[in-house]
Amino acid sequence: MATAQVPGDRLAQVRIHLKTRSPDIELPQDTGPILVSTELKRYQLSTLVNRLLDTEKPIPLEFLVNGQFLRTSIDEFLTQNGISAETTLSVEYVKALIPPLYVASYEHDDWVSSVDVLSASSKAGQWAGARYDSSAQRILSGSYDGLLRVWNMSSEVVATGQGHTASVKAAKVLSPTQVVSSGFDRTLRLWKYEDSEAAGAASLTPTLELYGHKASIDNIAVHAPSSRILSASSDHTVGIWSSKKAEGPAAPENLLPTANKRRKLSNTKTLPQRGPLNILEGHQSQVSDVCFDGRDATVAYSSSWDHSVKTWDLTTGACVDTRTTAQSLFSICHLPEASLLATGTSARHITLIDPRASATTVSAMTLRGHTNAVVSLATDPASSYQLVSGSHDGTCKIWDIRSVRNDAGTERVGDSVYTIERDSAKGKPKAVGGEGVKVFGVAWDREVGVVSGGEDKRVQINKSSPP
Amino acid sequence: MVQRAGQKRKVVEVPVPAPEQIDEELGYGAVDGALDDEGDSEEDLSDDGSDEELEIDGEDDSEAELDSDEIPSSEDDEDIRQQMRELKTSNGDNDIASQELTRSDIARKVSAASARMPLSALEDDADDVPNYTVMTDANGDPRYVYGEIDAAYDSDDSDAPAGANTIGDIPLSYYDAYPHIGYDINGRRIQRPAKGEALDSLLDSIDIPKGWTGLTDPATGKPLKLSREDLEVLKKLTRHETPGDGYDPYPDMVEYFTGKGMEEVMPISAAPEPKRRFIPSMHEHKRVMKIVKAIKEGRIKPYRAPTEEDREREEAEADFASYDVWANEQPRADHVMNVPAPKLPPPGYEESYHPPPEYLPDKHEQQEWEEQDEEDRTRDFMPRDHTALRKVPGYEQFIKEKFERCLDLYLAPRVRRSKLNIDPESLLPKLPDPAELKPFPTTCATVCRGHEGRVRSIAVDPSGWYIASGGDDGTVRVWDFKTGRQLWRIKLSASEPVNVVSWRPGQDARVLTACCGETVYFIVPQSDGFYTPEAEAASREVLDSGFGYAASNGSKTVAGQDKPSSSSWARPSAALQERGVLLTLTLRSTPKTLSWHRRGDYLSTVSPTTAATSTAIAIHTLSKHQTQHPFKRLKGLAQTACFHPSKPLFFVATRQRVRMYDLQQQKMEKELMPGARWISDISLHPLGSNLLIASYDKRLLWHDLDLGTTPYKTLRYHSKAIRAVEFHPSLPLFADASDDGSLQIFHGKVVGDSLENATVVPLKVLRGHRVVRELGVLDVKWHPREAWAVSAGADGSIRVWM
Repeated sequence: MATAQVPGDRLAQVRIHLKTRSPDIELPQDTGPILVSTELKRYQLSTLVNRLLDTEKPIPLEFLVNGQFLRTSIDEFLTQNGISAETTLSVEYVKALIPPLYVASYEHDDWVSSVDVLSASSKAGQWAGARYDSSAQRILSGSYDGLLRVWNMSSEVVATGQGHTASVKAAKVLSPTQVVSSGFDRTLRLWKYEDSEAAGAASLTPTLELYGHKASIDNIAVHAPSSRILSASSDHTVGIWSSKKAEGPAAPENLLPTANKRRKLSNTKTLPQRGPLNILEGHQSQVSDVCFDGRDATVAYSSSWDHSVKTWDLTTGACVDTRTTAQSLFSICHLPEASLLATGTSARHITLIDPRASATTVSAMTLRGHTNAVVSLATDPASSYQLVSGSHDGTCKIWDIRSVRNDAGTERVGDSVYTIERDSAKGKPKAVGGEGVKVFGVAWDREVGVVSGGEDKRVQINKSSPP
Repeated sequence: MVQRAGQKRKVVEVPVPAPEQIDEELGYGAVDGALDDEGDSEEDLSDDGSDEELEIDGEDDSEAELDSDEIPSSEDDEDIRQQMRELKTSNGDNDIASQELTRSDIARKVSAASARMPLSALEDDADDVPNYTVMTDANGDPRYVYGEIDAAYDSDDSDAPAGANTIGDIPLSYYDAYPHIGYDINGRRIQRPAKGEALDSLLDSIDIPKGWTGLTDPATGKPLKLSREDLEVLKKLTRHETPGDGYDPYPDMVEYFTGKGMEEVMPISAAPEPKRRFIPSMHEHKRVMKIVKAIKEGRIKPYRAPTEEDREREEAEADFASYDVWANEQPRADHVMNVPAPKLPPPGYEESYHPPPEYLPDKHEQQEWEEQDEEDRTRDFMPRDHTALRKVPGYEQFIKEKFERCLDLYLAPRVRRSKLNIDPESLLPKLPDPAELKPFPTTCATVCRGHEGRVRSIAVDPSGWYIASGGDDGTVRVWDFKTGRQLWRIKLSASEPVNVVSWRPGQDARVLTACCGETVYFIVPQSDGFYTPEAEAASREVLDSGFGYAASNGSKTVAGQDKPSSSSWARPSAALQERGVLLTLTLRSTPKTLSWHRRGDYLSTVSPTTAATSTAIAIHTLSKHQTQHPFKRLKGLAQTACFHPSKPLFFVATRQRVRMYDLQQQKMEKELMPGARWISDISLHPLGSNLLIASYDKRLLWHDLDLGTTPYKTLRYHSKAIRAVEFHPSLPLFADASDDGSLQIFHGKVVGDSLENATVVPLKVLRGHRVVRELGVLDVKWHPREAWAVSAGADGSIRVWM
């Protein structure tokens, strides 16, 4: 800093040590500390690193210094943070995330509770592998009007799934031909999906009904290779289900809809009904969300309103570990590379929990910025450090867990990288309590971008367009 | 002759020289004696000069001299007379005359004669006759010999003592070193009285002269002599007795102003006011007109036009008028009324007109200084550089500073107040920081809209999934807690509002009760996924069981006593039954509050009517379809009632009192007097030992049931009536709802140990509800487990606070 301020010395320099955690953009050999001018900004540094990498096409890069993204020149950054220019700065460079820009909104008849994406790069597409060769991208949305909809990218409904007798709370694509959904009517339904590009030409036909929960099923998680479905229910349990008709046991009689009860939609065709492989009990309150471990599909994590995150061994159905936080947890997702669980809380932030037994502290990090409950989380398909969150405050926020600072000495706090507002709320004053703009579901796909659905009865797509 | 002269004219008294004096001043002895003689002759002269006044100066000179022929004179009287005439005529040149005289061979005689000349006679003749005579001293130089001063001559004091010491107030001890003790009026020394030798004093002590006191008169130094009478008077005075026989200590009062003939005559007369008092005085008018005329003609100038000089002086005065209270400051002892002049620090380099460059501010500092508020500035000037002292401009802040100084003086307190050195923070009771008392609701998480008109009541389902609400539009609605989505609704009445909604406690069966009009509806909402099948069955079972009881036993008890039932339990219409309304209970009057017993079998309703006080409070048994009215006569208008969470106690709130009844022993346990004028709501702590009372007179009262009948704490934080209050079922929190549109969240920790008092800490004011027609928030409830509050507003919205 002292050298930087000496007038006339335009060539104030600082030592930086470049490093990255992404192997694909690692420098060919360790350059050691490089002396660069403090006048440099992100763009110049990016050019410099690209030159070092010797890439044909320049990759836009972001630079993290002490857990903060470099948005100004190095000089100003040093001044703001009171760092001496004589120290060697450890600069981490990451592939830049291009701001996700608004692409389109798909209008629904009722609130959209859940969204998922089917594309070649989506999980379902990856699991299908070679079997799925379609380059088409589909968006699955579950709505409070009890319908499932499949959309193509030109905002047309390709197929509609009718079968739930109450609101759909969750919908997931299991494979390019299979879709699973759950809802307020306490059932999980499996659907057969036959794709077609034209509007209304594709079909979504129910194939299996799964009974076993006593209350609304709020979220589901799927793992196609092991054909397992996990469900988080308000009856304080987690259900394990098989997507295969043959594997499932018979449905419990007491939970089947009674014959004398009038049904809104009278299905003439009776569907096969199956029960759960296992019901995991242990939570003291509603289970809000469930997810598979990113590496090991026999491990699952569930978050509950009783403030706890439980680790389940799916083969034995035993609760391996319980981590209790201070707030009700509304959503969960696993970041396999960092071995962290991100949970959205009622206290308006995201808590990152280390589920490993060796972890000493419950909360590894807190991501602050939302102004209402965080109810949906999804990881970045391209990076294992980024995630997107959907909140009742009507925004989706993109976070990078590498961007972290120490707040109040001990707590590690992160700030959001980008904020995605609802397009429907543009120009309106900020809604108190997220009235009319709440986001209920969010999904992130490499090809489609960030897809979110909410109280504004829309599915909104935001995409980072390549430069 | 001396006496005669004293009568006629001023007494001429020549001090009789003391015998000692004579010894010393022998040289004057002859002259004195001659003067004495002269004095006598003078007296003669004045005596026969009765026509003295008629005599004019000059003419009578010769006659006067002739008159003085009586004086015994020498042979060459004629010559002397001649000489004297010359002397008198040549007043101015005495010297010459005297010189001439000295030259003459008869100078000696002349001097003797002139010494004998009556000086006073000369004075009488002419005022400008000098009061001295010229003589020749031993060296042949002229010597002035002044005449005797008559001490009493010019004085009115005829009693002036002769030979008095004229040294004034000077103590006699000053003259101790001298042989004299002062001077008489003529400036002659008064010799110290001879101090007797030891033998003399011995002799004096042996034969005491008459009147000897042994004291010395301080004025004269002579022995003080007191007569017997004097001593007698002194003696009496020292004994505080009357000094003499003639002295009357109690003389008769002389009535100067009172008494007969001295009565005060009041200056009031009945005479009418004379006319002249009412007409302007003509005389005065004349005088005024005279002055006016003079002014008009310019003879009188009303004021003098100020000259240039005056103006200059005035300006100079105005410029230098300074009132420096500390100008003549003397060092004084420290005292509260003494305000010492402030000590100014010596000027520094930056105050110089040409400061060193390091004291000059750079641009940034200057800008910062300018942007700062004047009061925040550390110094009230900015160092400036001038190349020469003559280039220093005038001080621009001068007038402002003077003004402020004057303002300070004007506003300065005249009395120095004694300050109490107490930190105000330390007087506040130690309350924990709200941040340590988390969790508590802080922000509005969800807004549920749908009700038309006011939402009167809300209830959170025991599982915490749903919120039920009832409002002015006659509907009961059920909302999802997390998303705020309306899940179910039913319209119970087109005209009557839903006053109360409440969930039956207990996890197994969920029954929603709603009071609309005079009917209490028991509802099991029919919606897909709303209930688990078992819960729905259990709920229906709970509601249907009563019919069985009424059919088997009910007829006996009710019909047997032949009592006209005040309530009727019935199944509603099929349409309502299909929607989930499975049972209705119709009362005689409109129930305004409803509370469940913790087991979910008993519920109490309160219908605050003046018409039927005996049926105002009813306790219903759901399983038997029975209604009881425990109070035959209730003092006061019942407002609300609630059951104790663990004991068979029942709390009834009337307008001003809260009474606690034991239901088993059927007697009143306690009467609380919160002091509120109109109680709106009560809430019992889940442990049952503390009661919160909300009142329409803006107060929230915390009663500790173990302590007494008066409130343990009164919380007055709302500006309008408090409508509802609610303890959190599990966390140490409570919330109240007020007509000012706000909710307040408090931390209220109750310790099981009765030795420790409950801590109440205000945590948060939640605002968001709109005030509609003077009504703000009408109801508040808590989530059963989490620190989440739900409120119902008059603006038709339900808000969830997380």
